[in-house]
This record gives sequence, C-alpha cells and structure tokens, in this order.
Amino acid sequence: MKNYFLRHFQVLFFSLGQLAKSPVASLMTIGVIGITLALPSGLYLLIDNVQRLSVGWNSNTQISVFIKKETSEAEVNKLVKKLKSNPAISSVQFISSQQALAEFKELSAFGDVLNSLDHNPLPDVLLVEPKKSITEHEDLKKLVAGIAGHSEVDIAQLDLQWVRRFHAALNIVQRGILLLASLLGLAVLLTISNTIRLAILNRRQEIEITKLIGGTDSFIRRPFLYSGWLQGMFGAILAWLLIHISLLVLAGPVGELTHLYASEFRIQGMGAANSLSLVAMGGVLGWLGSRLAVGRHLREIEPR
Amino acid sequence: MIEFSHVSKRYLGGYDALKNITFRIDAGEMVFVTGHSGAGKSTLLKLITLIERPSRGQCIVNNKNLLKIPKRRIPYHRRDIGIVFQDHKLLMDRTVFDNVALPLVVSGCSYRDIGRRVNAALEKVGLLDKSKLLPIVLSGGEQQRVGIARAVVNKPPLLLADEPTGNLDEALSDEIMDLFLDFNDHGVTVIVATHDLRQLRRLRKRVLQLQQGEIVNDKAPIP
Ligand SMILES: Nc1ncnc2c1ncn2[C@@H]1O[C@H](COP(=O)(O)OP(=O)(O)OP(=O)(O)O)[C@@H](O)[C@H]1O
Ligand SMILES: [Mg+2]
Repeated sequence: MKNYFLRHFQVLFFSLGQLAKSPVASLMTIGVIGITLALPSGLYLLIDNVQRLSVGWNSNTQISVFIKKETSEAEVNKLVKKLKSNPAISSVQFISSQQALAEFKELSAFGDVLNSLDHNPLPDVLLVEPKKSITEHEDLKKLVAGIAGHSEVDIAQLDLQWVRRFHAALNIVQRGILLLASLLGLAVLLTISNTIRLAILNRRQEIEITKLIGGTDSFIRRPFLYSGWLQGMFGAILAWLLIHISLLVLAGPVGELTHLYASEFRIQGMGAANSLSLVAMGGVLGWLGSRLAVGRHLREIEPR
Repeated sequence: MIEFSHVSKRYLGGYDALKNITFRIDAGEMVFVTGHSGAGKSTLLKLITLIERPSRGQCIVNNKNLLKIPKRRIPYHRRDIGIVFQDHKLLMDRTVFDNVALPLVVSGCSYRDIGRRVNAALEKVGLLDKSKLLPIVLSGGEQQRVGIARAVVNKPPLLLADEPTGNLDEALSDEIMDLFLDFNDHGVTVIVATHDLRQLRRLRKRVLQLQQGEIVNDKAPIP
C-alpha cells in the first residue's frame, strides 16, 4: 500500500518533470486553458457582484395606486382604511389630486399651462408600501392584483419594477454564461485532449518499448493522466489569477463610483469555495481530456 | 519450457510466415534459430512474446498455454521473458541506468531493489562505470550490452534475442554471444535468432533451421 502511493507520487513528479522539460509548450497550453476558464468564471463573478449591488434597491418597493376620477372622498377614505387593515401592507399615504397638482406646479415648468386648465387632470393617488417581509416577486404581484381589483382603483402599479426586470435579465445572462461555460469547458477538454495526443505520439517509441517489457496499460496511461490533470489544474489557477488581477485593477474605479452613491458596496472576489471548485473543475477537465486521448491512442500503439 | 504444436502464422494479406511448426525446447537449453531472410525467425519469437498470435496450433511457454492469456494479461507474461532486439530499442533521452531499470519500475519493484539489481546487471555486461551516461554516446556494442542488461535485470527464466549481433563486427559479436552463453550456464533458457553461421559453428549449440516458414533441420548440440 505504501509502495502504491509512493509510485503514484513518483509518477506525479515525473509528469511535472515532463511539463518542465518543454516549458514553452506547457505554458502555452496552460495559458490557453487559463484564458478559456477565466472568461466564464470572470463573467459569472461580475454578474454576482452586480446582483449583490442591486439587491439594496429592492428594499423601498412602493405601489402607486391611481384612483378613478369619479370616486368620492368618502369612498377613498374607506379604501384607505381597508388597505391599512391588510396584513401585507405596512403603510398607506394619501395624496389628493389637489396636492399632486400643487406639487407638480412647483416642480415643473408647466405651472402656467396647468393654471389655464379649467379642471385638475391629475387623479388621487395612494402610495402603498408593502411589509418588508414580502420579498417574493410572486407575492408582490398578487398584492398589486388584489389592490387593482377594488372598484375605486384605476391602475395599481408596482414601482421599481425595472429592478425586477433587471434581475430577470441578470438571470437570463447567468444562464447564458452557464451555457458559455459548458462550451468553453468543452474547449478546455479538447485542448488538453489534443496536447496529450501529441505527447503520446511524441513518446510512441517509449510506449512501444514499455509494452514490450511488460508495462501494463494502466502503467503507461498514468503519466499522461497526471499530465492532463496537472495542466488543467494549473490552467484553472492561472484563470483565478487573471480574474483577481482584473478585480484589483477594477477595485479603484468601482470604489470611487460607489463612494459617490454613498454605498457600502465592495467588489467581492471568488471566495474560498468557488476558487476551490474552479481549480477542481480545471483538474477534472484536464483528466477527462487526457483520458479521451489516452483511450483512443494508446490502443493504436502496439509493438511490431 | 517452450512447446509449439502444429503452429501456423498467416499475416494479414495472406502470407504464410510459419507453416505447421512443431518443436520443443526444454528449460536450460540454448537454441539458435536460423534461416534465410523472411524464413520466419522473427515471427517465431513474436509468437512467444505474444506480439503476434498464431493463426493455428498451440503454443506453451513457461507452462502457460498462450491461447489462454487474454490481452490484459500479456504484460505479465512478458515480464517472465527477457527480449534483446537487433536495434536494441533503448530510450535515448534516459540514462543507461534508467533504461536498465525500466522493467523493474514497470513491475513495481521497490527503490532499494532497483538500485541493487540494475547495478548487478550493468556489472554483468561490464558497463557499471557508464550507468550515468545517455545511450547515444555509447558504441554500438555497448548499446547492445545495455539492451542485454535490461533484458536480464529482472532475472527472467527465458531470454530471447532477435539478431543481437546484426550490426556488430566479429569481436563484438563474440563478446555478446559469450554473454548469452554465460546466462545459459546460469540456467536461463536462451533462444537466439541469427544468420551468423560463424557463431553457430563456434558455440555448437542446438540449431533450428527454418526455410519458407517450415523447420527443415533440427540439429542437436555438438558436445
Ligand atoms: N506484420 C506483417 N504483416 C505481413 N507480413 C509480414 C509481417 N511480418 C512479417 N511478415 C512476412 O513474414 C515473413 C517472415 O517474416 P520474419 O520477420 O519472421 O522473417 P525473418 O526470418 O525474421 O527474416 P529476417 O532474417 O529478414 O529478419 C516475411 O516474408 C515477411 O514479409
Ligand atoms: Mg527477423
């Protein structure tokens, strides 16, 4: 058993030595793998950060409720009371059409035009704030629909709906990145498979001789599998470095930007778990890639 | 040690390299296989090492029926056979030591044993002082001796050599053949394929003569 591990250790070092023997070729392979893996991982990280940034925008969700023109004040008051008793609603603010008009006159340059109108074009408005505990989009939509169902209500509209839309869009982008990641993962697999194929052909004579003196297939396979695994892993480590160097470069400008918005937002790196999965993923892809090449090409080499 | 009965070998393309061959070689024998070029000498050795499979007939080597050895067991079969090639098949980017160590590494020998046994084999062929060199810098005869050291390093009971002296002058050929003779004296069964008639006359061992894939003469050793 001790011998078994020792032998694997030897093969590991042998494979490392083989990689070091042709440093340019190895670095080129590792570079290609690094860039290929950095692309989807970096994009994913970017989306992750944007998502965290926009989560804050969600907290002050408001529902604007426009009251039908012909509704009497008593009816509106009844509606306000009804809404206030709804457990999903934390507050209701009434803005009468006169109030709205006055505000509008103050804020806009249309004051004179509005003065010349013989009636107030603006409706009464209720600003409804849902309970903080309601965060699910579905629940909010139900609440809005419930409010809109009252006969006095013309339109009930969820403000900051664009945040929701933004998140939905982010989700789509994330899916896209996942798709991209699978494709690029396949690219890594093929890159390594091709590298290993060349390595096998380069050492054709050695493989033939090893078979002649009684080397088993698994013995011959082992250094190639290790080599693929190592290159995949080193590629993933390079990808990690590329991503975090980019983050360092971005940290300055992002800090300035978020400072302007008095935000606590800090750009975040990959974290231990994700970093480890990236490296593990690189290793697995490398191993699979070389497995692919080894399975096909070792069989072809037989002593004659 | 080796028993062929009614063995034929037809290569892809339909050429009959061996036709209905039957012979027996006992443990501890030394046998020359001779014959014209294309007679089937190499084919015979390839059947023993399972580089090729017979088209017909039965081969028994080391008490094992070769028909019953599946592909994945072939490496283990080959570990019991030392093979010497005309072009010695050394790895030119590894030292002499590493070349000779290969059969031991392949069979999972411990580090300490490897050092000991490789040095013993190199001493036997007189190359102990060159173990750190790369084979490229050695002479043809020395390279062949490295190949022999590699073939015997794990003490196989059977040693096969295909034209081991093909590229060597007479003095070097004598030297190489004497090495085989010495291993044979220590109990190793040795089979040498050669058309070097001078060696046949000199060593006076048993000779299997092939012609067009058939055994036409089986000369007993001359005492
Ligand atoms: N893989 C192969 N496919 C087809 N024909 C082959 C193959 N190997 C050998 N032969 C043919 O079989 C015959 C015997 O070949 P073999 O190599 O056994 O001869 P040999 O006695 O070793 O000759 P030499 O002295 O030239 O080495 C030859 O005619 C050769 O062309
Ligand atoms: Mg031959």
